[in-house]
Amino acid sequence: MTLTSKPADAEPTAVGGPGATDVERAQKRGPGRDPDVVGLGRGRASLFVAPALVLVGVFLVFPALWTLYLGLLDYSLTGASAQSPTFIGAQNYTDALSDPAFTKALYLTLLYVGFSAVIGQNILGFLLAWYFRTAPRAVRTTLNVLVLLAWILPGSVVAFLWQALLDRRDGILNTVLQTTGVAWTNDHPMAVIVIFNIWRGAAFSMLLYAAALNTVPTSHLEVARMAGARPWQQLRDVVLPTVRRHVLTNTLLITLWTFNDFTPFLLTGGGPNHESETLPVYIYSTAILHGDLGYGSAISLLLLLANLVIAVFYIRLLRGGDDGSLKAQQRAERKARRAERAVAT
Amino acid sequence: MTAAVATRPTTHAEKEPRKSHANVYFGVIAWIIGIIFVVPVLFMILTSFHSEADASTNPPSVGAPLTLDGYREFFSGGIDPWPYLANSLTASVLSTIIVLALAIPAAYACSIRPVRKWTDVMFFFLSTKMLPPVAGLLPIYLIAQRINMLDNIFLLVILYTSMNLPIAVWMMRSFLAEIPPAILEAASIDGAGLLYQMRRIIVPISMPGIAATSLICFIFSWNELLFARVLTGVSAQTGPVFLTSFVTSQGLFLAKVCAAATIVSLPVLIAGFAAQDKLVQGLSLGAVK
Repeated sequence: MTLTSKPADAEPTAVGGPGATDVERAQKRGPGRDPDVVGLGRGRASLFVAPALVLVGVFLVFPALWTLYLGLLDYSLTGASAQSPTFIGAQNYTDALSDPAFTKALYLTLLYVGFSAVIGQNILGFLLAWYFRTAPRAVRTTLNVLVLLAWILPGSVVAFLWQALLDRRDGILNTVLQTTGVAWTNDHPMAVIVIFNIWRGAAFSMLLYAAALNTVPTSHLEVARMAGARPWQQLRDVVLPTVRRHVLTNTLLITLWTFNDFTPFLLTGGGPNHESETLPVYIYSTAILHGDLGYGSAISLLLLLANLVIAVFYIRLLRGGDDGSLKAQQRAERKARRAERAVAT
Repeated sequence: MTAAVATRPTTHAEKEPRKSHANVYFGVIAWIIGIIFVVPVLFMILTSFHSEADASTNPPSVGAPLTLDGYREFFSGGIDPWPYLANSLTASVLSTIIVLALAIPAAYACSIRPVRKWTDVMFFFLSTKMLPPVAGLLPIYLIAQRINMLDNIFLLVILYTSMNLPIAVWMMRSFLAEIPPAILEAASIDGAGLLYQMRRIIVPISMPGIAATSLICFIFSWNELLFARVLTGVSAQTGPVFLTSFVTSQGLFLAKVCAAATIVSLPVLIAGFAAQDKLVQGLSLGAVK
């Protein structure tokens, strides 16, 4: 239970400000008003929420907790231990931590997340959104649609398309680059899945940053521009302090998605020789393909813990950065004021 | 300070052309990126309308005559794809309907008239999104095996419902929070009951939000692959899972496979572009509007 209640406790500032601001808003208007004006009593309110809570509890939270228990068993899909799983304590967990295959999968997952999500999608998404700010409306809409296509198609479809694209014999990439017979997914598996994931996921960051950049007051930018700030100075001193929370929210979301992303399996199958086997793929091949349920569950739980660590890390950043961003904002405002004065005189 | 006055007009004048130059370069790069993004999709759609002979040439014959043979082959060439597409449709539509039926009341209770502890409830929903799906997969597989629910489309319906519920509750809450409470207060003073308010005020006002939420749930359910792959076999296989096995067995017939991929993509493409502008608000769980 601690597993699920922990992020909930640490959450209030989690996904951006809105949670927190809504809490404040609710608290502000709470005592002042009759809490039952619209006629939804406590009993009915619970009744409204209960079905959703039960369903989520039974089908999302309970299985995750059950994984903890399964990880303590010697349990296979086939063979002797399939009939009577035996309790072996923490052995699966200690095995996993000293298993080079697990460590390698974890390392590859970090590479995959770092390069494709935190760096790739983040920066590409931001740059596209930055360009969209000044682009004509028609251009913006068209590019939006093009980039969104990659994001919205089913994983099995895009995996097939990339296989066709990268194919050794008839692949378009080999034709375009005049490189005959290069087996891209085989020779550079990690590079392929990283670029693939940037391509697939950039749309989300782009849309989120486009919305975030709308919140930057144009007057601030104008003032900075008149004061002679170069584009990158405007970016650093005016834009980034304003959209800081959005950057963190976006990074948290894409990190978690990429961490748990199973699509690389469709592209490379985790191979060759486990060279692109990220954690979800490793779990899938251990538990489902090789039928080692106990061990697979133990790794699943470690993956879950990794997720929590990431979430808590970002939440700390969001929370701890509050006065930091405030200072940055004040600094930006001071700069803007100074610039205004300079322009005025 | 006089220096500032003196330099301002010149810097301003210099700035304009440089800015537009940078913008042109930026624009060209953005377009190149956009084209790179769309090439695989164009390839898919174009090839699906080519004959097998034209599809297999290298370099691809872009200007080849168009034909519907690929689609004809896909729908009536041996394996009937309709059951799989129907499975996907059942899982996506049914789960989306159940999600809405459960999420709207829950979001209502958490937004319009917040009762005590409602933030705890919301954060409980949010925290479940931090659980990796693959972590719950094995227990669900074992339980489904025990109670004979493997290869049953209704198992997927229930799972997709619970997977999408947290997102839907957060989305609906952010849409419902936009309804001014004064309207509801006025209605209740006029004697409108809860059901009447729901039907005549809340649902009509938040209709765009409801539409966006259902489209997103539909897309997620339709695209889900991991659970569908592991928990279904023959009779409950969904479209995307069917496509992966179809690619393996029919990979040589590029036009036919591209037709299959286009058909499997069609529902989410339609849903995606319908939901486009509300997508971010929903997916960032209301953090961004």
